[in-house]
Amino acid sequence: MATSKLDYLLKLPKFDHLEAKTIEEACSLLAKYKGKARVIAGGTDLLVSMKRREISPQYIINIKTIPNLDGINYSQKEGVVIGALATLAEIESSPLIQERFPILSSAAHQTGSPHIRNVGTIGGNLCNAAPSADMAPPLIGLGAKAKIKGLKGERVVTVEQFFLGPGESTLQVGEILTQILVPNPPPYTRGVYLKLPARTAIDIAVVGVAVVVTLDSQGINIVDAKVVLGAVAPTPIRARQAEDIIKGRMLNDELIAKAAQAAADEAKPISDVRGSASYRKEIVKVLTHRALKQVTTEEG
Amino acid sequence: MKQRIQLTVNGELREVAVEPWKTLLEVIRDDIGLTGPKEACSTGECSACTVLVNGKPVNSCLTLAVEAQGKEILTIEGLSQGSKLHPLQDAFIRHGAIQCGFCTPGMLLSAKALLDDNPQPTEQEVREAISGNLCRCTGYNKIVEAILEVAQK
Repeated sequence: MATSKLDYLLKLPKFDHLEAKTIEEACSLLAKYKGKARVIAGGTDLLVSMKRREISPQYIINIKTIPNLDGINYSQKEGVVIGALATLAEIESSPLIQERFPILSSAAHQTGSPHIRNVGTIGGNLCNAAPSADMAPPLIGLGAKAKIKGLKGERVVTVEQFFLGPGESTLQVGEILTQILVPNPPPYTRGVYLKLPARTAIDIAVVGVAVVVTLDSQGINIVDAKVVLGAVAPTPIRARQAEDIIKGRMLNDELIAKAAQAAADEAKPISDVRGSASYRKEIVKVLTHRALKQVTTEEG
Repeated sequence: MKQRIQLTVNGELREVAVEPWKTLLEVIRDDIGLTGPKEACSTGECSACTVLVNGKPVNSCLTLAVEAQGKEILTIEGLSQGSKLHPLQDAFIRHGAIQCGFCTPGMLLSAKALLDDNPQPTEQEVREAISGNLCRCTGYNKIVEAILEVAQK
């Protein structure tokens, strides 16, 4: 047998590599090679899928050659504007994000290894549309929006609406995600993102829970609340019953336990190699409980 | 079709013709001939393929070579100055932080990037910096001790 001794190594399938210089050019190329082209940003998910032959696009369109798709900026009107090409490491270490949205720097820190975070982008994390995407629950909790550009112009959807199913986003052929807009939260808003497994580089979330609450000016009653679950449904989902239980109320242990149970009931997880459905529901309860405790007792 | 790219590897400007589907790791090993970066998992989970790109540790197995055009690459071969070992290399030897050696080039480069950025890291920061680098021999403690020793000098 003349098989190479290197057969166990995963090689990339062949493709053409195209560099888009403008958003319009990227959109035109995607439309022209409909179904045969994929965008590459950090490439940390795309190239793995290609090495495993889950996908074999004929064309790879590099968007890192488009100016001004990265960066993290503040505007009074739109809040924090995160370019789709901002890396997870940049989000993790950005003073602007750390000061205004510590939940986002924390979630970025909990994604992948340092090596992956150095190249992996927030846009890629969302566009791969994994139910376990770590940036999604906190962004949904903060009411963030996704700015999408295509040949017919621009549209804005909430990050919640951006996800349609496993690996499926609202992006149509010829469209790319350009920016994430994180609106200025009302005063007394705090958030936390917890994930299992915690602080383990590489591992994909078995369960992720983001809780974002807005307290009244006395810091007593919950004026608004978002409870967002990752990796326990085809997309990241809001646990609306859990939210309703705590909205307008003063949190106590009994209410927290009730909301945590409601979140577990709303989760629709699958069983896979990372955890069974019943285990995931239990972890939703535990993490929601812990997150609600943290946002009401610590600086969020 | 091959594309010509220019990149700086260990301070030396190199020009190579690469196919678009070749990873930076393949080009460094097969075309440039530096076999310090290792291929193990091929999917960004073990970081045996770590190189520094513009000073930052990345998985060269998940980097397209054509996208390294114009970049500064540091591999383990560029860490020592001639026969004079880098302090991290010296500390790894003295602490027994090397056993089979397969993870060592990646470990050293991740450690170098950490200390360049943060010369006085805590033990936790050291452990986080190498959290993507898998080692199946040492149990990590000797590696962490070696890095901390260099940091405290």
